[in-house]
Amino acid sequence: MASTLRSSAARRILAAKPTSAIRLLPQTRIAAFHASQRHQILPPGPQVVHGTVNDPVPVPTPNAAHGSYHWAFERIIALGMIPLTVAPFAAGTANPALDAALGTALVLHSHIGFDACVTDYFPKRQYAKTRTFMIWLLRASTITAAVGLFSIQTNDVGLTEAIKKFWKA
Amino acid sequence: MLSTRVFSRGLLRSARPRSTAFFTPRRMITTESIPASSADSILAAQRLIRPVSPHLTIYQPQLTWYLSMTTRITGVALSGTFYLYAIGYVLVSPFGVDMSVANVSKKWGELNGAVKAAVKVPLGACFSFHFWNGVRHLVWDTGRELTVRGVYRTGYGVLGLTALSTLGLLVI
Repeated sequence: MASTLRSSAARRILAAKPTSAIRLLPQTRIAAFHASQRHQILPPGPQVVHGTVNDPVPVPTPNAAHGSYHWAFERIIALGMIPLTVAPFAAGTANPALDAALGTALVLHSHIGFDACVTDYFPKRQYAKTRTFMIWLLRASTITAAVGLFSIQTNDVGLTEAIKKFWKA
Repeated sequence: MLSTRVFSRGLLRSARPRSTAFFTPRRMITTESIPASSADSILAAQRLIRPVSPHLTIYQPQLTWYLSMTTRITGVALSGTFYLYAIGYVLVSPFGVDMSVANVSKKWGELNGAVKAAVKVPLGACFSFHFWNGVRHLVWDTGRELTVRGVYRTGYGVLGLTALSTLGLLVI
Protein backbone atom coordinates (compact mmCIF):
# COMPACT_ATOMS: atom_id res chain seq x y z
CA MET A 1 0.00 0.00 0.00
CA ALA A 2 2.84 2.30 0.90
CA SER A 3 4.60 1.43 -2.34
CA THR A 4 1.46 2.20 -4.33
CA LEU A 5 1.32 5.60 -2.70
CA ARG A 6 4.99 6.26 -3.38
CA SER A 7 4.78 5.27 -7.02
CA SER A 8 1.76 7.44 -7.64
CA ALA A 9 3.56 10.37 -6.02
CA ALA A 10 6.57 9.73 -8.25
CA ARG A 11 4.30 9.57 -11.30
CA ARG A 12 2.77 12.88 -10.35
CA ILE A 13 6.22 14.49 -10.08
CA LEU A 14 7.34 13.05 -13.40
CA ALA A 15 4.16 14.18 -15.12
CA ALA A 16 4.43 17.72 -13.74
CA LYS A 17 6.01 20.40 -15.93
CA PRO A 18 9.38 21.80 -14.88
CA THR A 19 9.19 24.46 -12.18
CA SER A 20 9.01 28.09 -13.18
CA ALA A 21 12.58 28.83 -12.07
CA ILE A 22 13.98 26.43 -14.64
CA ARG A 23 11.61 27.52 -17.38
CA LEU A 24 12.55 31.18 -16.88
CA LEU A 25 16.18 30.59 -17.93
CA PRO A 26 16.65 31.94 -21.46
CA GLN A 27 17.30 29.18 -23.98
CA THR A 28 20.06 31.13 -25.74
CA ARG A 29 22.25 31.06 -22.65
CA ILE A 30 22.11 27.30 -22.38
CA ALA A 31 22.85 27.01 -26.09
CA ALA A 32 25.82 29.37 -25.76
CA PHE A 33 27.15 27.34 -22.85
CA HIS A 34 27.03 24.14 -24.82
CA ALA A 35 28.49 25.74 -27.92
CA SER A 36 31.48 27.13 -26.04
CA GLN A 37 32.03 23.78 -24.44
CA ARG A 38 32.78 22.30 -27.82
CA HIS A 39 35.14 25.11 -28.80
CA GLN A 40 37.70 24.72 -26.07
CA ILE A 41 40.55 27.22 -26.19
CA LEU A 42 42.87 25.00 -24.25
CA PRO A 43 42.58 21.42 -22.99
CA PRO A 44 42.31 21.05 -19.22
CA GLY A 45 45.65 21.24 -17.45
CA PRO A 46 46.90 18.60 -15.06
CA GLN A 47 44.47 18.11 -12.17
CA VAL A 48 46.33 18.23 -8.88
CA VAL A 49 44.68 17.36 -5.58
CA HIS A 50 46.43 18.75 -2.51
CA GLY A 51 45.01 17.85 0.91
CA THR A 52 41.27 17.81 1.50
CA VAL A 53 38.47 20.35 1.21
CA ASN A 54 38.56 20.83 4.97
CA ASP A 55 42.12 22.18 5.05
CA PRO A 56 42.35 25.87 5.95
CA VAL A 57 43.65 28.26 3.30
CA PRO A 58 47.33 28.90 3.97
CA VAL A 59 47.85 32.55 4.83
CA PRO A 60 51.17 33.81 3.47
CA THR A 61 53.45 35.75 5.78
CA PRO A 62 53.07 39.45 5.04
CA ASN A 63 56.15 40.74 3.25
CA ALA A 64 56.47 44.32 2.03
CA ALA A 65 59.11 43.26 -0.52
CA HIS A 66 56.45 41.13 -2.26
CA GLY A 67 53.71 43.69 -1.80
CA SER A 68 53.86 47.44 -1.53
CA TYR A 69 57.62 47.88 -2.22
CA HIS A 70 57.40 45.66 -5.28
CA TRP A 71 54.37 47.61 -6.49
CA ALA A 72 56.07 50.98 -5.89
CA PHE A 73 59.28 49.75 -7.60
CA GLU A 74 57.32 48.75 -10.71
CA ARG A 75 55.56 52.15 -10.85
CA ILE A 76 58.80 54.12 -10.36
CA ILE A 77 60.41 52.30 -13.29
CA ALA A 78 57.31 52.73 -15.47
CA LEU A 79 57.05 56.41 -14.55
CA GLY A 80 60.74 56.93 -15.30
CA MET A 81 60.31 55.33 -18.73
CA ILE A 82 57.92 58.06 -19.92
CA PRO A 83 60.61 60.75 -20.18
CA LEU A 84 63.37 58.22 -20.90
CA THR A 85 61.70 56.89 -24.07
CA VAL A 86 61.08 60.41 -25.39
CA ALA A 87 64.08 62.48 -24.24
CA PRO A 88 66.95 60.71 -26.06
CA PHE A 89 65.12 60.90 -29.38
CA ALA A 90 63.91 64.46 -28.81
CA ALA A 91 67.43 65.59 -27.84
CA GLY A 92 68.76 64.47 -31.21
CA THR A 93 72.22 63.52 -29.99
CA ALA A 94 73.15 60.23 -28.34
CA ASN A 95 73.88 60.72 -24.67
CA PRO A 96 75.63 57.80 -22.91
CA ALA A 97 74.02 58.61 -19.54
CA LEU A 98 70.49 58.73 -20.99
CA ASP A 99 71.24 55.55 -22.97
CA ALA A 100 72.35 53.77 -19.82
CA ALA A 101 69.29 54.92 -17.88
CA LEU A 102 66.89 53.90 -20.67
CA GLY A 103 68.63 50.56 -21.14
CA THR A 104 68.51 49.72 -17.42
CA ALA A 105 64.86 50.71 -17.11
CA LEU A 106 64.01 48.75 -20.28
CA VAL A 107 65.62 45.53 -19.02
CA LEU A 108 63.98 45.82 -15.58
CA HIS A 109 60.56 46.73 -17.00
CA SER A 110 60.73 43.85 -19.51
CA HIS A 111 61.78 41.37 -16.83
CA ILE A 112 58.95 42.42 -14.50
CA GLY A 113 56.45 42.17 -17.37
CA PHE A 114 57.58 38.69 -18.46
CA ASP A 115 57.70 37.59 -14.83
CA ALA A 116 54.05 38.62 -14.39
CA CYS A 117 53.17 36.47 -17.43
CA VAL A 118 54.98 33.43 -15.99
CA THR A 119 53.21 33.94 -12.64
CA ASP A 120 49.83 34.17 -14.37
CA TYR A 121 50.08 31.42 -16.97
CA PHE A 122 52.04 28.76 -15.07
CA PRO A 123 50.22 28.42 -11.73
CA LYS A 124 52.36 26.84 -9.02
CA ARG A 125 49.65 24.32 -8.07
CA GLN A 126 49.24 22.84 -11.55
CA TYR A 127 52.55 23.48 -13.33
CA ALA A 128 55.14 23.50 -10.51
CA LYS A 129 58.00 22.13 -12.65
CA THR A 130 57.21 24.12 -15.79
CA ARG A 131 56.92 27.26 -13.67
CA THR A 132 60.35 26.73 -12.11
CA PHE A 133 61.80 26.10 -15.56
CA MET A 134 60.16 29.23 -17.00
CA ILE A 135 61.38 31.38 -14.10
CA TRP A 136 64.97 30.26 -14.64
CA LEU A 137 64.64 30.55 -18.42
CA LEU A 138 63.46 34.13 -17.95
CA ARG A 139 66.31 34.92 -15.56
CA ALA A 140 68.86 33.51 -18.00
CA SER A 141 67.24 35.43 -20.89
CA THR A 142 67.23 38.70 -18.96
CA ILE A 143 70.88 38.36 -18.00
CA THR A 144 71.86 37.44 -21.58
CA ALA A 145 69.84 40.35 -22.96
CA ALA A 146 71.46 42.67 -20.41
CA VAL A 147 74.92 41.47 -21.48
CA GLY A 148 73.98 42.02 -25.12
CA LEU A 149 72.64 45.48 -24.36
CA PHE A 150 75.79 46.34 -22.41
CA SER A 151 77.89 45.37 -25.37
CA ILE A 152 75.66 47.42 -27.73
CA GLN A 153 76.08 50.40 -25.38
CA THR A 154 79.85 50.07 -24.96
CA ASN A 155 81.21 48.53 -28.18
CA ASP A 156 78.49 49.48 -30.65
CA VAL A 157 76.50 52.62 -31.38
CA GLY A 158 74.35 52.58 -28.23
CA LEU A 159 70.66 51.92 -27.66
CA THR A 160 69.13 55.19 -28.90
CA GLU A 161 71.27 55.25 -32.03
CA ALA A 162 70.51 51.56 -32.70
CA ILE A 163 66.76 52.13 -32.51
CA LYS A 164 67.07 55.16 -34.81
CA LYS A 165 69.12 53.21 -37.34
CA PHE A 166 66.65 50.32 -37.45
CA TRP A 167 63.63 52.60 -37.66
CA LYS A 168 65.02 54.76 -40.44
CA ALA A 169 66.70 51.95 -42.39
CA MET B 1 -1.68 -3.15 8.19
CA LEU B 2 1.17 -5.30 9.43
CA SER B 3 -0.89 -8.45 9.24
CA THR B 4 -1.92 -7.63 5.66
CA ARG B 5 1.72 -7.25 4.65
CA VAL B 6 2.76 -10.51 6.26
CA PHE B 7 -0.12 -12.25 4.56
CA SER B 8 0.71 -10.84 1.09
CA ARG B 9 4.40 -11.75 1.59
CA GLY B 10 3.44 -15.27 2.30
CA LEU B 11 1.32 -15.34 -0.84
CA LEU B 12 4.17 -13.99 -2.93
CA ARG B 13 6.62 -16.51 -1.52
CA SER B 14 4.38 -19.38 -2.35
CA ALA B 15 3.83 -18.06 -5.90
CA ARG B 16 7.54 -17.71 -6.72
CA PRO B 17 9.78 -20.66 -7.66
CA ARG B 18 11.48 -22.24 -4.68
CA SER B 19 15.05 -21.38 -5.38
CA THR B 20 17.61 -20.69 -2.71
CA ALA B 21 19.38 -18.18 -4.94
CA PHE B 22 16.38 -15.92 -4.77
CA PHE B 23 16.63 -15.53 -1.01
CA THR B 24 20.42 -15.24 -0.83
CA PRO B 25 21.38 -11.56 -0.58
CA ARG B 26 23.59 -10.61 -3.47
CA ARG B 27 25.73 -7.47 -3.74
CA MET B 28 25.78 -5.96 -7.19
CA ILE B 29 28.85 -3.81 -6.44
CA THR B 30 32.14 -4.57 -4.79
CA THR B 31 34.09 -2.11 -2.68
CA GLU B 32 37.78 -2.06 -1.94
CA SER B 33 39.82 -0.04 0.46
CA ILE B 34 42.38 2.23 -1.22
CA PRO B 35 45.01 4.52 0.27
CA ALA B 36 44.40 8.28 0.20
CA SER B 37 47.12 8.81 -2.42
CA SER B 38 45.42 6.64 -5.05
CA ALA B 39 42.05 8.17 -4.11
CA ASP B 40 43.58 11.52 -5.12
CA SER B 41 44.76 10.13 -8.43
CA ILE B 42 41.30 8.73 -9.18
CA LEU B 43 39.79 12.13 -8.34
CA ALA B 44 42.34 13.86 -10.56
CA ALA B 45 41.54 11.45 -13.42
CA GLN B 46 37.83 12.13 -12.99
CA ARG B 47 38.37 15.88 -12.99
CA LEU B 48 40.36 15.64 -16.18
CA ILE B 49 37.33 14.37 -18.13
CA ARG B 50 34.99 17.10 -16.90
CA PRO B 51 34.12 19.71 -19.50
CA VAL B 52 36.31 22.82 -19.35
CA SER B 53 34.43 25.89 -18.17
CA PRO B 54 33.96 28.32 -21.01
CA HIS B 55 36.05 31.44 -20.36
CA LEU B 56 37.32 34.15 -22.74
CA THR B 57 34.83 33.32 -25.49
CA ILE B 58 31.71 33.86 -23.37
CA TYR B 59 32.51 37.40 -22.30
CA GLN B 60 31.16 40.32 -24.26
CA PRO B 61 34.04 42.19 -25.92
CA GLN B 62 34.37 45.43 -23.98
CA LEU B 63 36.85 48.27 -24.04
CA THR B 64 37.86 47.55 -20.43
CA TRP B 65 39.28 44.08 -20.72
CA TYR B 66 40.27 44.35 -24.38
CA LEU B 67 42.63 47.26 -23.65
CA SER B 68 43.96 45.48 -20.55
CA MET B 69 44.73 42.38 -22.59
CA THR B 70 46.24 44.44 -25.42
CA THR B 71 48.65 46.14 -22.99
CA ARG B 72 50.18 42.81 -22.11
CA ILE B 73 50.27 41.56 -25.70
CA THR B 74 51.94 44.75 -26.98
CA GLY B 75 54.39 44.73 -24.06
CA VAL B 76 55.40 41.14 -24.76
CA ALA B 77 55.77 41.94 -28.48
CA LEU B 78 58.02 44.95 -27.81
CA SER B 79 60.15 43.36 -25.09
CA GLY B 80 60.27 40.12 -27.06
CA THR B 81 61.73 41.93 -30.07
CA PHE B 82 64.28 43.66 -27.84
CA TYR B 83 65.22 40.40 -26.07
CA LEU B 84 65.55 38.50 -29.35
CA TYR B 85 68.02 41.00 -30.80
CA ALA B 86 69.98 41.50 -27.54
CA ILE B 87 70.23 37.74 -26.89
CA GLY B 88 71.15 37.11 -30.53
CA TYR B 89 73.82 39.78 -30.17
CA VAL B 90 75.47 37.68 -27.44
CA LEU B 91 74.80 34.13 -28.61
CA VAL B 92 75.10 34.35 -32.41
CA SER B 93 78.09 36.73 -32.69
CA PRO B 94 80.66 34.09 -31.56
CA PHE B 95 79.70 31.93 -34.57
CA GLY B 96 81.01 34.53 -36.99
CA VAL B 97 77.66 36.17 -37.73
CA ASP B 98 77.97 39.94 -37.80
CA MET B 99 75.23 41.07 -35.41
CA SER B 100 76.46 44.69 -35.18
CA VAL B 101 73.80 47.39 -35.44
CA ALA B 102 75.42 48.78 -38.61
CA ASN B 103 75.33 45.42 -40.43
CA VAL B 104 71.91 44.16 -39.29
CA SER B 105 70.20 47.52 -39.89
CA LYS B 106 71.79 47.64 -43.37
CA LYS B 107 70.43 44.14 -44.16
CA TRP B 108 67.07 45.15 -42.75
CA GLY B 109 67.09 48.33 -44.86
CA GLU B 110 67.68 46.34 -48.03
CA LEU B 111 64.42 44.44 -47.55
CA ASN B 112 61.30 45.12 -49.62
CA GLY B 113 59.33 48.20 -48.50
CA ALA B 114 56.15 46.16 -47.99
CA VAL B 115 57.97 43.74 -45.67
CA LYS B 116 59.40 46.63 -43.69
CA ALA B 117 55.98 48.26 -43.42
CA ALA B 118 54.45 44.96 -42.31
CA VAL B 119 56.84 44.97 -39.36
CA LYS B 120 57.06 48.70 -38.65
CA VAL B 121 53.32 49.48 -38.60
CA PRO B 122 52.45 46.86 -35.94
CA LEU B 123 55.62 47.61 -33.96
CA GLY B 124 54.93 51.37 -33.99
CA ALA B 125 51.32 50.74 -33.00
CA CYS B 126 52.46 48.39 -30.21
CA PHE B 127 54.84 50.99 -28.82
CA SER B 128 52.29 53.81 -29.08
CA PHE B 129 49.55 51.80 -27.44
CA HIS B 130 51.76 50.44 -24.66
CA PHE B 131 53.11 53.93 -23.96
CA TRP B 132 49.72 55.67 -23.77
CA ASN B 133 47.97 52.89 -21.91
CA GLY B 134 50.92 52.80 -19.51
CA VAL B 135 50.30 56.49 -18.82
CA ARG B 136 46.61 55.65 -18.31
CA HIS B 137 47.53 52.99 -15.76
CA LEU B 138 49.78 55.41 -13.91
CA VAL B 139 46.90 57.90 -13.79
CA TRP B 140 44.74 55.16 -12.26
CA ASP B 141 47.49 54.41 -9.75
CA THR B 142 47.11 57.93 -8.39
CA GLY B 143 43.42 57.17 -7.78
CA ARG B 144 42.11 59.31 -10.65
CA GLU B 145 39.66 58.29 -13.41
CA LEU B 146 38.63 55.16 -11.53
CA THR B 147 34.98 55.33 -12.56
CA VAL B 148 33.16 53.62 -15.40
CA ARG B 149 33.01 56.98 -17.18
CA GLY B 150 36.67 57.64 -16.47
CA VAL B 151 37.71 54.20 -17.73
CA TYR B 152 35.85 54.68 -21.02
CA ARG B 153 36.92 58.30 -21.48
CA THR B 154 40.61 57.50 -20.96
CA GLY B 155 40.23 54.31 -23.00
CA TYR B 156 38.99 56.16 -26.08
CA GLY B 157 41.65 58.81 -25.43
CA VAL B 158 44.34 56.14 -25.51
CA LEU B 159 42.99 54.74 -28.79
CA GLY B 160 42.99 58.20 -30.37
CA LEU B 161 46.49 59.05 -29.16
CA THR B 162 47.72 55.63 -30.31
CA ALA B 163 46.45 56.26 -33.83
CA LEU B 164 48.04 59.72 -33.93
CA SER B 165 51.44 58.70 -32.54
CA THR B 166 51.60 55.59 -34.75
CA LEU B 167 51.14 57.82 -37.78
CA GLY B 168 53.73 60.21 -36.34
CA LEU B 169 56.26 57.42 -35.84
CA LEU B 170 55.76 56.17 -39.40
CA VAL B 171 56.21 59.67 -40.85
CA ILE B 172 59.54 60.21 -39.03
